Amino acid sequence: MSNAEDSFIRLDDVTFSYREKIILNKVSLKLKKGDSYAVIGKSGVGKSTLLHLIAGFLKPNAGSIYIDQQEIKSVRKNTAFLFQELGLFPWQKVVQAVGMPLHLNKAGKASEIQNRVLSLLKELDLEHLKNKYPRELSGGEQQRVALARILITNPDLILMDEPTSSLDAMTKEQIQQLILKYQQKLKATMLFITHDIEEAVYLGKHILLLKPGGTFQVIENSFYSVPRAREQLGYYEQCIEIRKLLMDGETI
Amino acid sequence: MKLLKRFSKSQLLGFLSFLILWEAVHLLLRTHTVPSPWETIVYSISRIDKLALHSLASLLRILTGIGISMVIGIPIGIYLGVSQKFGYLFSPFLYFIYPIPKIAFLPVFMLLFGLGDTSKVILIIWIIIFQIIISVRDGIAQIPKIQYKVMDSFQASAFQKYRFLIIPAILPHIFTGLRISIGISLASLFFAENYATVYGIGYYIISAWTKMNYVEMFSGIMTIGILGVILYQILDEIELKVAPWNK
Ligand SMILES: Nc1ncnc2c1ncn2[C@@H]1O[C@H](COP(=O)(O)OP(=O)(O)OP(=O)(O)O)[C@@H](O)[C@H]1O
Ligand SMILES: [Mg+2]
Repeated sequence: MSNAEDSFIRLDDVTFSYREKIILNKVSLKLKKGDSYAVIGKSGVGKSTLLHLIAGFLKPNAGSIYIDQQEIKSVRKNTAFLFQELGLFPWQKVVQAVGMPLHLNKAGKASEIQNRVLSLLKELDLEHLKNKYPRELSGGEQQRVALARILITNPDLILMDEPTSSLDAMTKEQIQQLILKYQQKLKATMLFITHDIEEAVYLGKHILLLKPGGTFQVIENSFYSVPRAREQLGYYEQCIEIRKLLMDGETI
Repeated sequence: MKLLKRFSKSQLLGFLSFLILWEAVHLLLRTHTVPSPWETIVYSISRIDKLALHSLASLLRILTGIGISMVIGIPIGIYLGVSQKFGYLFSPFLYFIYPIPKIAFLPVFMLLFGLGDTSKVILIIWIIIFQIIISVRDGIAQIPKIQYKVMDSFQASAFQKYRFLIIPAILPHIFTGLRISIGISLASLFFAENYATVYGIGYYIISAWTKMNYVEMFSGIMTIGILGVILYQILDEIELKVAPWNK
C-alpha cells in the first residue's frame, strides 16, 4: 500500500461481472479525501455497479477496494448511500426516519438522538414537517428527508445514485446547494452518479467519464464550488465541453 | 363527495338502512316470521342482560381464537415470507387448504376435541390462522427491495431489520387479514354454537328458532350484526393506534 497518503478510495485492478457479462475489467482508480466526484457515462455502462462496489453491496470478482486504508469486505460504517428511489419507510414520520440511523448505530440515548435530529431538521428547514409521514410530503421534501437521514451520522463518504433525477429544476437546484453545503461542512468525500451534465459541473470537482469496460476519462472542473457559478458563461461552456466528450463516438 | 365518503363509512347509517329494509320486508310479507324492527328492538332492550351474556360468550370464543391465531400465525407467516425453502414446502398445502370452507372441519374437530369450547375455538383458529399466515407472507413479499437495501446501507442487524422494517411493513396486512376472517368466524360460530353449549349468540338464535319465537330470533340476528360492527370498530381503533400511516 504505497503512496496511499491522500487517496481515500483506491480501486486495485477491480474486475466485476454479472455472470459472463464483464462490467468492470481491471479497473484502478484513486479518489482524494474530501473531494467530490461526478460519475457520468451512458446508460448501462456500469455506473451504479461501480457505486455499489464501493458501498460494499457488491464484491469484486478480482482485485480489491480500499477506503481509508481498509479493504472493503462489506458495508462500511461511515459510508452513506443515497438511493435514487430514496427508500423512505411509509410508517416512519420525518423525525423517526432521520433518527433511525442513530438508533441502528446505538449512537446514544433516545433523548440525545432526538436533539441531534431536531437540530439537523432545523438546519434543513424540515422542522415543521417533523411529524409527517412520507406520503404527506412533496418530492423535494422527501428528498431532503432522505438527505437528512444520511447526513445525521456525519459520514465521511457520501455515495449518491442519481440523487436529483426525479425533481423539477427549481427543487433540483435547492437540493444541489444543500448537498454541496454539507459535503463541504462534513469535509466528506463524495461520489455521485448523474445524467445531468449541468449537475456534474455544479457538484463535481472532478468529473469521471466512465466508458465500457471501466476505463475512465477524468476531467477537472474549475467551476466546482464557485460562487454564483450558474451566472457565468464559462460554466455553460464547461457543460458543452463535457457533453461533447460524453457524446464522443456516439451517433445521436 | 366527502359527505358521501363519510356516509359510506358510518356504521350507524348502515344499521339504519338495514332497519329500513327490514321494515319494508316486514310490511310487504305481513307474516309473523318477520317481526317489525321496532318490536324486536323493544324486545331486545327488555332482555338486554341475556343478550349481553350470549354475546359475551361468543365474543370470548372469537377473541381467544384471534389471539391464538396471531401468536401462531404471524411467526409462521413471517417465516414463510423470509425463507424461500419453507415457502416452497408449505405453500402448496396453504393453497389447498385456503379455499376450503373451514366450517366443514367442525365435525372433525368435535370428534377430536369433544363438543365443548375447545373444538369451537379451534374452528375459529382454523378459519383465521390461514388468512393471517397468507396476509403476513404477502405483506413481506410486497416489501420493496430498496427498503432492504436502505437497511443494509445503515448496517442494520437481522434483528433490527425485523424491528424497523419487516414488522411495521406487515402490520396493516394483519389488520386486513383479521377484517376478512372475523366475518367468517362469526358466521361459523353460528353453526358451532349449536352443540354442547347453552351460551353464545348462535345458540340463542337457533334455540329461538326451534321455539318458533321469531321476535327472539330476530333480536339474536340483530345482535350478531351489532357484534360484528363492534368487532370491526375495535379493529379500526387499534389499527389507528398501531398502524396509522396509511389512514
Ligand atoms: N443484477 C444484475 N444482473 C445482471 N445484469 C445486471 C444486473 N444489474 C445490472 N446489470 C447489467 O450491468 C450493466 C451495468 O448496469 P448498471 O446499473 O451499473 O448501469 P448504469 O451505468 O448505472 O446505467 P443507468 O445509467 O441506466 O443507471 C447493464 O448492462 C445492466 O443490464
Ligand atoms: Mg444506474
